[in-house]
Amino acid sequence: MSPVPAAALLAALAAVALITDRAWVVAAIATGLLLLCLRAPRGRRRLYLFGTLGSALSVFLLSPLVSHVGTHVIWDGPKIPVIGYLDVTSEEIAAAGIQALRLAAVGLAFAAYALLLDLDRLLQAAGFARRSVLAAGLATRLVPTLERDAAGFMEALQGRGVEVAGARGRARLLSPLVAGSLERALNLAEAMEARGFGRVGRTRAPSAPWTRLDRLALAAAVLLVLGAIWL
Amino acid sequence: MALAEVEHLTFTYPDAERPALSDVSLSLEPGEIVAVLGPSGSGKSTLLRALAGLVPHFHGGRFEGRVVVAGMDTRRFRPADLAGAVAMLFQDPENQVVFGHVANEVAFGLENVGTPPDQIWPRVHAALAEVGAARLAERRTETLSAGELQRICLAAVLALEPQLLILDEPTSQLDPEGAVEILDVACELGATVLVSEQRPALPLERCSRVLFVDEGRITLDATRDEALARLPQQYLPREPNALGDVPGPGETLCRLEDVTFAYDSRPVLEGRSLTLERGEIVALTGPNGVGKTTLAKVAAGLLEPESGRVEREGRCCYLSQDPGRYLVKERVEDEAALAVGGDLDRARRALAELGLAGLEHRHPRDLSSGERERLALASVLVADPDVLILDEPTRGVDPPRKAELAARLRRDASRRATLVVTHDLLFAGDVADRVVPLTARERALA
Repeated sequence: MSPVPAAALLAALAAVALITDRAWVVAAIATGLLLLCLRAPRGRRRLYLFGTLGSALSVFLLSPLVSHVGTHVIWDGPKIPVIGYLDVTSEEIAAAGIQALRLAAVGLAFAAYALLLDLDRLLQAAGFARRSVLAAGLATRLVPTLERDAAGFMEALQGRGVEVAGARGRARLLSPLVAGSLERALNLAEAMEARGFGRVGRTRAPSAPWTRLDRLALAAAVLLVLGAIWL
Repeated sequence: MALAEVEHLTFTYPDAERPALSDVSLSLEPGEIVAVLGPSGSGKSTLLRALAGLVPHFHGGRFEGRVVVAGMDTRRFRPADLAGAVAMLFQDPENQVVFGHVANEVAFGLENVGTPPDQIWPRVHAALAEVGAARLAERRTETLSAGELQRICLAAVLALEPQLLILDEPTSQLDPEGAVEILDVACELGATVLVSEQRPALPLERCSRVLFVDEGRITLDATRDEALARLPQQYLPREPNALGDVPGPGETLCRLEDVTFAYDSRPVLEGRSLTLERGEIVALTGPNGVGKTTLAKVAAGLLEPESGRVEREGRCCYLSQDPGRYLVKERVEDEAALAVGGDLDRARRALAELGLAGLEHRHPRDLSSGERERLALASVLVADPDVLILDEPTRGVDPPRKAELAARLRRDASRRATLVVTHDLLFAGDVADRVVPLTARERALA
């Protein structure tokens, strides 16, 4: 499938997950997207899945403790300053469940976009705002680059017998990671300029024409969003 | 008529105390193959950047004199305007890749310079075929090895069919066979080629002219034959030294037996064994992607093998092939002290031994690339390990520094077992007691 209809379909699924109130619809979208993401190579998908599912789980666990909705109390907790009573009601759990599923669906849609789509061709398809789309494409590629840099720093430290353990140990890699990214960005900008980026009169490599599947996917994306709004 | 003219060029980077180039003049004729040699930090890369228009446009600084390339004065034309007539391949392929797919990466420059759309894909595929990377066209760039990525970057500049091709250490990531292939392809293009290298034998075999740059000045501009008579000894081509006598059996400090390892179910090591004894220096050589670094990391304990046995005695330290990984702390001396629990005295001694005295309080990112290489080495040697594993320690290092490093490793050889992973067969001959060649065919047998 071409990247533009595929991206439109993913965006539509994320939009439906945000719009609809039906938990089973959101759950079905999240499950489908999770299965889709599992098609990506294990090494690349780990960070995206860990981040998305971890965040969704956090929302599910913490949200009932800090919200005050419903009357069917399941657990009567202590009173905490500022937050108040840590009661948990069945209504809060249901609401937390759907919020967590929504977050998971949106996160997984982005993960599928980053892991499975040909972002280059998406960029080529952009007839306008090419610089912005290029910046977005480079930013998406930054995630695996940062991951590789972090692994490289850890390896160089471990290679010297320096243990990197726990959140504090990893946190001290943050500053060199950011500095390294800035340095890489400068080098990349220099290489891009040397290859003519920004010159007037650029052309575009021809891309393959859309197939029937591409047109169907785009129509499905539109119908999904309209259906979610209407229902 | 000359393709490029440099007239009395003096250039100083912003905030630098002294010029990177001083009163440099030269003229490049169409079709010339020119080797640019000289020590690290001598101004070679700055000269190449001036010919691509990146100095001064991209870097700023104080620019005096004139550079004209293909009729364009670089003071008036930006690097993007020169692109197409000039193409430059940089040292580190990781820092020049824009796109996620190989074919799109090669097409990027062609699109920028306004190549007619119907010519773009044919030229992309022709360039990939020229560098022996046609099979990589549909691969994602992040899945490529450094050597493969370097070929893709070369294809991207060859596709532009430039009049002036500038290569800044293009073979630093490649094995000897790959380096020969790449330089042969570049030199057969018919363009004027300017190639800077720290393995001088390769360009010296192919060039018609040699420039030697030292402290910002061209100290030698001669034909190849004249240059061979006048270049410093360490830059002259030679055969690798014969290996020295293998030291008598010493204490075994690291033993790998029948080790296997795979990345994402792609096998890299299959049934590999290696023994390192105190007192010996072993060089691990072989083509790109054969598993040398993986084997070194397994030996260092940074990777757990899927099967097989690994035994180590004493402290083991591993030097990564990327000196950019040794920039964690805010000061040079703190970085060097990391491996010795913050002992600054030991760190300063290690820094001084590698010629970095006086830079202890600098930020590691303010160091030049040559100084970063030495900081990385100091950060590992400071620990005085029993097992020392160095992964491509001569990448980007000039011949005199390589000789110094070889002498240092030999001097301390009796104290430890040393494993050097290298593509540099001259260095391997200079430093090693034993060479272990690792090839794809023999992967399971060696």
